[in-house]
Amino acid sequence: MTEHKIETSRERQNRHKAMEAASVLEKIKHNFKEPPRAMSYFYDLYERVNCKHESLHVDKAKVGTMCIQVPSEIIYALDAVPLRLCNGFYTDDEIGSDLLPSKSCPLVKATVGQFASNNFSDKPDVIISPTTCDQKAKSGAIIEGMGFSVYDMEFPRTKESHESREYWRRSVRKFTKDLSIDLNKKLTKKSLKESIKKVGYAQHLYHKLNILRKNTASPILGKDMFLVTNAFFFDKIDNWIDAMENLVQECEQRVETQVNAASKMSPRIVYTGSPPIFPNLKIPLLIEQSDAIIVADETCSSNRMFNDMISVDEWFVNDMIDSIADRYLKGCTCPIFTKNSDRKRRIIDLVRDYKADGVIYQAFAGCQVYEMEQRSVLEAMQKAQIPILYLESDYSPSQSGQLTTRIEAFVESLKNRKRRG
Amino acid sequence: MRYFAGIDIGSTAIKIAIVDESKKLAGHKISASGSMFYKYAKQALKEMLDELNIDEKDLLYTVATGYGRKLFKEADENISEITANAMGAIAAAEGKCNIKTIINIGGQDSKAISLDDEGNVVNFAMNDRCAAGTGKFLDVVAMNLEIEVDELGEYHFKSQGTPLAINSTCAVFAESEIIGLLGNDHSIEDIVAGVHYSIAKRIIKLVKRVGINEGIYFDGGPALNNGLVHAIENELGKKIFIPEFPQITTSYGAAILALESYEYENKV
Repeated sequence: MTEHKIETSRERQNRHKAMEAASVLEKIKHNFKEPPRAMSYFYDLYERVNCKHESLHVDKAKVGTMCIQVPSEIIYALDAVPLRLCNGFYTDDEIGSDLLPSKSCPLVKATVGQFASNNFSDKPDVIISPTTCDQKAKSGAIIEGMGFSVYDMEFPRTKESHESREYWRRSVRKFTKDLSIDLNKKLTKKSLKESIKKVGYAQHLYHKLNILRKNTASPILGKDMFLVTNAFFFDKIDNWIDAMENLVQECEQRVETQVNAASKMSPRIVYTGSPPIFPNLKIPLLIEQSDAIIVADETCSSNRMFNDMISVDEWFVNDMIDSIADRYLKGCTCPIFTKNSDRKRRIIDLVRDYKADGVIYQAFAGCQVYEMEQRSVLEAMQKAQIPILYLESDYSPSQSGQLTTRIEAFVESLKNRKRRG
Repeated sequence: MRYFAGIDIGSTAIKIAIVDESKKLAGHKISASGSMFYKYAKQALKEMLDELNIDEKDLLYTVATGYGRKLFKEADENISEITANAMGAIAAAEGKCNIKTIINIGGQDSKAISLDDEGNVVNFAMNDRCAAGTGKFLDVVAMNLEIEVDELGEYHFKSQGTPLAINSTCAVFAESEIIGLLGNDHSIEDIVAGVHYSIAKRIIKLVKRVGINEGIYFDGGPALNNGLVHAIENELGKKIFIPEFPQITTSYGAAILALESYEYENKV
């Protein structure tokens, strides 16, 4: 027998992640009706980054962000790339499980796990932790303890008051200044304006595509949309924009020719709750494998990242920074806020605008704020007579049987309603 | 010369090992269990004695082990396959490796055994419910891929892409997964590697239950598959010891026990 070298632990992690990614991509690509051709850019991107561990940003300063609340416009304006570190890998979740309490959120465990293994295809030079939820705030300190450079960006827990708005604006101004010093780059009026325009254009493309999903024959499935929006976490923004332009164009044609990504009977779902992040697309996949279609979502890994645009009154640096701060605070519907009626309103609006038949609310076991807000969202939906299913899940690949049954039963009940008109 | 036999009646194969009074392996034989364990076991033992030219009178003590051990009534004694496996592993690795952990994958079950410094069984774990990820599973995989079981190792090392995880190690469900992967134009090599890693991950979970201590011994028919061995080594991040005849460790252990029992009973 010839001798074979044993993998290093890094090689093993990479193989585990590649295997995880490959099996999810396999489902995404092959278990559904023909996706738009333009999706192949995204399929390849995930394969390159997650199966082949290619680096995308060799020549740039990389700013890791632990939450959506870090303004990417400012990072781009400082000639760096934002990399969102919210992690969907079970491999990393398992590593993080040894370091955090067992009831922690899998996303946080996976993020900490990745730092513990110090295994990145694009390693961030500095990490920004907006002190949003408790678990992320505390994880920032744990990650710092591992020898990484972590910057706490303070975030308020309410958004209605004048004080919280002022507090957050100050926080964003300070962040801009400190990051500029740290990266040794100067923020200019021109660079900031350009980055606002560029991210705004990306948002515009997202909106354009989303509007197409309002059609009774939606041109794209939710599982593909999550891939597209998740790619914004780490892709080169210019490439993402190019790919998105193609995708929008193709989806426009699909709408014209009445190509339906699902079937006529497929119930239309609004997805909300803890963010699905590749490769943890377990629930969206189960929903669409049960012959429903996700037509819209209210999650921070997708809709919330793109929904609200920055509105600038005066194009001066300080005004722009304040406008950025306002957009990130006001647009946020994260359940970390004390009161969060905006979120309920937005879900109901999405259901109405996208002619959805029901809502699926998924919380990670251990994601306390989403678990806690579940009751009030359920009540609000009942009041509005919108059917809703609440699910709890984690990153483990093994529990899908029971979830499938619950999702299928919900989808069937929506189909029956449809049938009876 | 005096001889002692260990006979391991498994779900898939009957393994017989015969040792002489110095514990040296005189010979071994592997034959299919088939439908009539008892009959085939007796037949196999007889054939073996003939082949080795051993007179039945010189076979002084027989120990039966394995799933069908109680059916073999001629045995002087029968013991569980856990004990026999441990004894066999220690003897087979003697002077080469100090065994602390045993991984055994059989035709329809898998086990992990942990040993103390004296070679006593401290803890063991077995797969529950079904034959997922065992030898039978590899048979089904090979059949689906239209290759031979003993070619699996070769295919494993030729895998170039990402090994394709098989989410279900249930032979029945895995069959449709594999057919699906083949339909999507994935290479047999990547599927084989994926199957090995899926089994390896599963077995490592079992081993973790008893504790992973170095001196790791792997036996049972699937240990002949060097692709699977490689996958388990990668998952463990450690080298494992594969005996010369992985299939007969348990019967070898039973034969040694036969010798020891005989000596004990005839002690003056």
